[in-house]
Parts: sequence; structure tokens; C-alpha cells
Amino acid sequence: MDRETVERVARTAHIKLTEDELERYRSDLEEILTYFELLDEAPECDNYGVNPIEVADILRDDEPRMDIDPASLLKDMNTYEGYVRGPRLS
Amino acid sequence: MIGLDLSKLKSVNDKYGMFHAMTEKESVEGSFHFSAKDNLTSKDMETCSGSRILEGYRPAFDATAIAKMRAAGGELVGKTNMDEFGFGTFSANSGFEVPRNPFDTERACGGSSGGSACAAAVFEDHVSLGVSTGGSICCPASFCGVYGIAPTYGRVSRYGLIDYGNSLDKIGILSSKATDLRKYLGIIAGKDEKDPTSCVQPDFNPGYRKLSSVAVPKEGMEGLSKDVESAFRKSLETLESMGTEIEFVEMPSLKYAMPAYYVLATSEASTNLARYVGMRYGQQEGDLSLKFDDYFTSFRSEYFGDEAKRRILLGTFTRMVGFRDRYYAKALQVRKVVIDDYKRILATHDAVLAPTMPFTAPRFDDIANMSALDAYKADYLTIPANIAGTPHMSVPCGYGSDGMPIGMQFVADHWDEEILLSVAEDWEKVFESKKPEVTI
Repeated sequence: MDRETVERVARTAHIKLTEDELERYRSDLEEILTYFELLDEAPECDNYGVNPIEVADILRDDEPRMDIDPASLLKDMNTYEGYVRGPRLS
Repeated sequence: MIGLDLSKLKSVNDKYGMFHAMTEKESVEGSFHFSAKDNLTSKDMETCSGSRILEGYRPAFDATAIAKMRAAGGELVGKTNMDEFGFGTFSANSGFEVPRNPFDTERACGGSSGGSACAAAVFEDHVSLGVSTGGSICCPASFCGVYGIAPTYGRVSRYGLIDYGNSLDKIGILSSKATDLRKYLGIIAGKDEKDPTSCVQPDFNPGYRKLSSVAVPKEGMEGLSKDVESAFRKSLETLESMGTEIEFVEMPSLKYAMPAYYVLATSEASTNLARYVGMRYGQQEGDLSLKFDDYFTSFRSEYFGDEAKRRILLGTFTRMVGFRDRYYAKALQVRKVVIDDYKRILATHDAVLAPTMPFTAPRFDDIANMSALDAYKADYLTIPANIAGTPHMSVPCGYGSDGMPIGMQFVADHWDEEILLSVAEDWEKVFESKKPEVTI
């Protein structure tokens, strides 16, 4: 695990690291990923899914309804004229 | 233990630090009182999931589990401190207060539902909702000497749970009384159209079944402290005297569960936490003149804690093109292998049994000297059941030479909470658990 890789991963994750953090996380990740090499010798299998149990698609009737008043969701948000405020795009 | 007196709640919390937020009422009006881990949304109390990035977030809705407890007459008295987003084994990775063990306040409660275990140990007739992703109910239950159950993945709706790992998160119960597990799991279990993974479950009508046989994986006996091994072996003798057959078995997949878990959990967490960017909830006071990349980065860099950043980096790395098959896809295969191993053993045994944690609650100064990997390795006994989504439960089973509680963990087949609830009730009749001396 080199510093450039950690910097690239941090940039992707939108986290700015200090020099100290960069070196500390590089060292930690190297130690952790070295341990994870154990997975290389783990048995393989087919028919694996992303959940530990069988999950079915459950759909409700397509009827409009409102569980939560949108105004209650907006009350603690930083808004402007009813729109959520955010940074500029360019 | 002490009775819950709302006028003294703040004083108790000053000593033990179990609550992030507390009720402002002066008396309990409900028919029972409960607390809930702070990653479950609650209408009347701030919900931060242990993270400063969510400071100020007051949800507009209750998590289904909290709503059901309230509908049953329960009164929510506090939201419990926890590791940030559940990222930890000792609740020491909190962005706020770190809960202190009621048996020795120099020691940790365990994590990540540490505040919940602390509240369950300190207050009489109190039940707390916890959440387990990799052992976050059983670990603190063990360290604080209480009963804790994490049901089958999907048994309790995750609606209103602030996600850590969607394929791993499970809401459960912690209490000093075994009979509370059945009572309150019965309240929060059930289908909920707001969480499709809860809708495939069979009905929850647990009866009583005597524990006939347990399998003890030999791999689960490795790396234990002397105190834990001694207490566990004594408990096996007690189980035998109760008529339970004990068989030591091989479970070779267990050693792969820990790395597989951390790959899956951090992969899921790194995507789940992408939503925290200084907009909509929590911290929102930033420099809006910044470009959006810089704006998002400024919040995440300032308000995520050390372990959250580490797990985001790890999870982002293991999902990257070129590494995904080696890590994520292989971890999914290991999960299937672990499930198959449990099914094979549980075809001829009622439960799989091992100590819950390899040691008693560590001191905070020892925790500070642990590397990240050392802390991850401490979870090796609780992770397998969590990665498999199988129900599991920690019960108190002894005390170390340091006076700290020791727990053992039963694992049952998917949807078979019945055997765990039965075991807990039978065990409580033969094991005399100690209550912490609470002084304020």
C-alpha cells in the first residue's frame, strides 16, 4: 500500500488527509490488507448472494400516499425558498 | 443496579456515560421504560449514530422498532452512546461520550452497543434496543454481564436504522433479565413493508424447546484468556448437568469469517456514508462558495472520526476496479461457506456455542494501545454468526479474576430464535449473575 494509492482512495471518498493521517492510514491499511490475504486461500463456491437469507421483492399497491409530511423533513434542513441549499456545481 | 429515577438520570449518566440524549420528562408515564441505540431514529430526541457529522439531526420519524415499543406502552428514556456508525468493539470510537463499564468505570462496555449494555446493567427493569453488525450486541452484553440477543437478519425491520452494513445490520434486545428477550423481541419482530428484507420471515411465535445438544467449534477455543476458558469450560459442565449433550466439532470456515466480514462491512459502509456531505441533515454550516467536491470534502474531513475514515478508505479500496473480485466477491463466497458450515452442524445440534469474547472488558488505556487490526481481531468469535445472518445470543456465564463479567454465545439456525430464548430462560435459573454496585 503506497501513499499514492491512499491519496487516490481518499480523493474518491471525498476525504482530505493530513500528512500524519496519510502515513498512519497507509500503514494501517497495509497491515490490514496483509492479514486479509487469508481470503486468497479460502474455499470458493457458487450460488452466493449479497444477503445472508433469501430476499424477495415485495411491492405495495401503487397508490399515492404520504407517510411523512415533507415540511417536517425540511424543517431542520438548510433551505432557500423551499429548496435544499447546496454548493455550486462549477 | 438501581431503579430508574428520571430526576437522577443526569447524575447516573454523568458517572457512566450511557446516554447521548435523555428524556426531559420528570416521571415515566409509560407501562415500561426502554432506551435505544443512537443509530435508531427517534422523533423527540437527537439521533447522531455516534457521529459528529450528524450533530443536530432530529428525525421526523421513529424507527419501526422504536415505534413498536412505544405502541406497546414503552417510554423511551434515552438514546445510547455507541461507536461512530457502529465502527468499533469498545464504544471508544464515539464522537461524543464513551460509556464506562458499570463493574469498573476504567474499563470499556464493549461495542458498538456499549451504552445500551451499560443501561441494561445499571437500571432495574430496563430494556435497551441494540444493533449488531459484527457482534455489537453480544460483545457489550458479555462485557457488562447482561443478556443480549441479535435475531435472524430480517426478523426486525431496519426501517429507521442508520445503515452501517445493509446485509449485516440486525436490531435486537439487551436486558439483565432473560425473560425480557422473549417479551420485547416479540414486540419489535415482524414484517414491515418499509423494509423488504423483513417480509420473507416466518411468523414469530416462539414456544419452549429444551436444549438437547450443542456443538462447540474447536476453533472457537483458540486465543482465549485463562479466565474466559475456565468460565466457559465450567459452563459446559453445568450444561451437561442440565442434560445437554456437548460435542466438540471442526468448523474450518471460521478463520475466514473475520477478513470476509471487514471487507463486506466496510464496502457497504463506504457507500452508505457517501450521503453525509453537509446537506439535508446534521452539520450543514459550510462555505457555500466552495465547489461541490471541496464543500463535501470539507465536512467529511472535519466531522468523520478516525475509525470512520479508516473504514471508508478500506471499503473504498476493496471495491475498486481490479480489487473487487479478490476482496468483495471472495468475501461473499466466504459468507456462503460459513452459512453452509452452520447448516451442516445445526442439522444435528440445537446450537453452536463458544465464548462471546476472548477476554474480559479491557481497560481504556490498553484499548488506546491497540492497533486497528488488533481491535478487528477481537471480534473473531462474534463475527461468524453475524456474517451468516443467524440468530445469536450472549448470556453471562462467569466472572474473571478481575471481577469482570464473561459471556458465552449461542448461535442457532436462521429463524430459530425459539431455542435461544428457551436456553436463556433455563440458564437464568441455574446461573446467578452479579449486579454491578451503582453509586451516584
